[in-house]
Amino acid sequence: MKYLEPRVLSKAFGLMIAAVGLMTSAGCATVRPEQRAILADPTMQFDQKSADRAALEHVLDNREGSTGGGSVRGGGCGCN
Amino acid sequence: MLSRIKPLLAERLVARHCLGALLGVSVLFGAASARAQVAALDLNSALFVEPSKRSGLTVWNPSAVLAVTPTNWLTVQGGYEADIVSGASESVKGGRLSSVDIVTSATHFSDTRHALTGGFTVTRATTHLSGSYTYGTEHDYRSNSFAVSAGTDFLQKNTQIELSYGRGFDQVCTTAYAASDAPSSRLALDNSRGCFTNDKKRASRDISLNNFQVGWTQTWTPVFTTQMVLSAALQHGFLANPYRSVVIASAGDQALENHPEDRARGAIGLRGKYYARGLQTAFSASARLYRDTWDIFGQTYEVDAERYLVPWLRVLVRGRYYTQTKALFWSDDYTGGEPETGPRGKYWSGDRELSPLSSYLVGARALATREGKPGQRVLGLFLSFSGSVSFDLLKTNLRDFTLGGHAPDDTLALLWSLGFRGEF
Repeated sequence: MKYLEPRVLSKAFGLMIAAVGLMTSAGCATVRPEQRAILADPTMQFDQKSADRAALEHVLDNREGSTGGGSVRGGGCGCN
Repeated sequence: MLSRIKPLLAERLVARHCLGALLGVSVLFGAASARAQVAALDLNSALFVEPSKRSGLTVWNPSAVLAVTPTNWLTVQGGYEADIVSGASESVKGGRLSSVDIVTSATHFSDTRHALTGGFTVTRATTHLSGSYTYGTEHDYRSNSFAVSAGTDFLQKNTQIELSYGRGFDQVCTTAYAASDAPSSRLALDNSRGCFTNDKKRASRDISLNNFQVGWTQTWTPVFTTQMVLSAALQHGFLANPYRSVVIASAGDQALENHPEDRARGAIGLRGKYYARGLQTAFSASARLYRDTWDIFGQTYEVDAERYLVPWLRVLVRGRYYTQTKALFWSDDYTGGEPETGPRGKYWSGDRELSPLSSYLVGARALATREGKPGQRVLGLFLSFSGSVSFDLLKTNLRDFTLGGHAPDDTLALLWSLGFRGEF
């Protein structure tokens, strides 16, 4: 059985600590609903599902050896 | 654009207040139209052109999607898209030592892919759930794919988590070789006639696809938001090009491209959006790192800026840089005796997307939106409509890839896109 090297393990552990710290700090970020006017604008939202972006992703998927990690729905006014 | 920035603080304050009022009105209008919305129709058309003296490529991609929202918590949608492809490509790949004339082997082809999709989205106060199915067909390829995604907001809606999973069951047409046949004796397709029929010279091979994704979007301030996306994909089956032969012996012997049957892929994307009040512009920057079990390491860096020129017209400009290493088994030539141009294990490939490359992209988009006033419809029909036009230019630098020792001339690509969206 092949074991991970200590160097890789320590890097993974460091990344996990950083990720947990970052997600914990997210709880400190408070943007009230009345402060969301700019965030609600389409220019500030991820994954606007625009036609040009979809066409571009289609081309890049077929012209490069990598894929994934693209934008997902998120951001906005939080006014559902 | 930057030269138009107003330098005086007073003017900035006025502009800031005007923008705030404008955005506030747009939020109210958006919320109102979302409640009243019955249907939305998206019509798009994209044209991709890769000019070349011998192996140019043109792809026209029209699509239409109709989404109906019968209640405020359910949206049902259906769509159609096509890829109408015509061009020429080299059916044999040889490298700098090749004794075969590769360049004049380019053959013309044309095909059309049709894809039908249907899906739904259920939206509640802080959660949403989506599901979709897509069927795609062309002369030599069929695909069935299912996708589900779910997302939720928490921490006063400043944090959003989105999970998604996709499963694909694809089939590709190849020549009818047996699994026990030596890879070096397998032949490539020369056309798609007889595919998915009882023709004994054709066979269909399965491709299994699994895609996982998790996204975390975080709002940090009223003008700054970030997103992190982790993706993983597992592919199994026939992952080569059934039409491509590779020269594998110095005498000119050719065999069907031979790729591993399994590929695990992973990527992490980090992006941030910041609204610069002084410039009245939304800036976005992103970085993406990619790694797979074929030993490709890819890096993508992208920036864009978007702003309103007038309240109904906004313009976006973008730039992108991409670089990747080669697949472990990729070589420009497999016929030499040394490691760089000789055999590279049990696999061989003529795929330039697996070669070491980099690319630059610049593009722009203009999007015009018209919202109907409360109680009134635009043109007597639409609650709102928008139209967009975009242009992108992609230049690829193939570091090692050659066709018989000659650098390909189809490394510049142009993409035009037109879109229309109407809500009524």
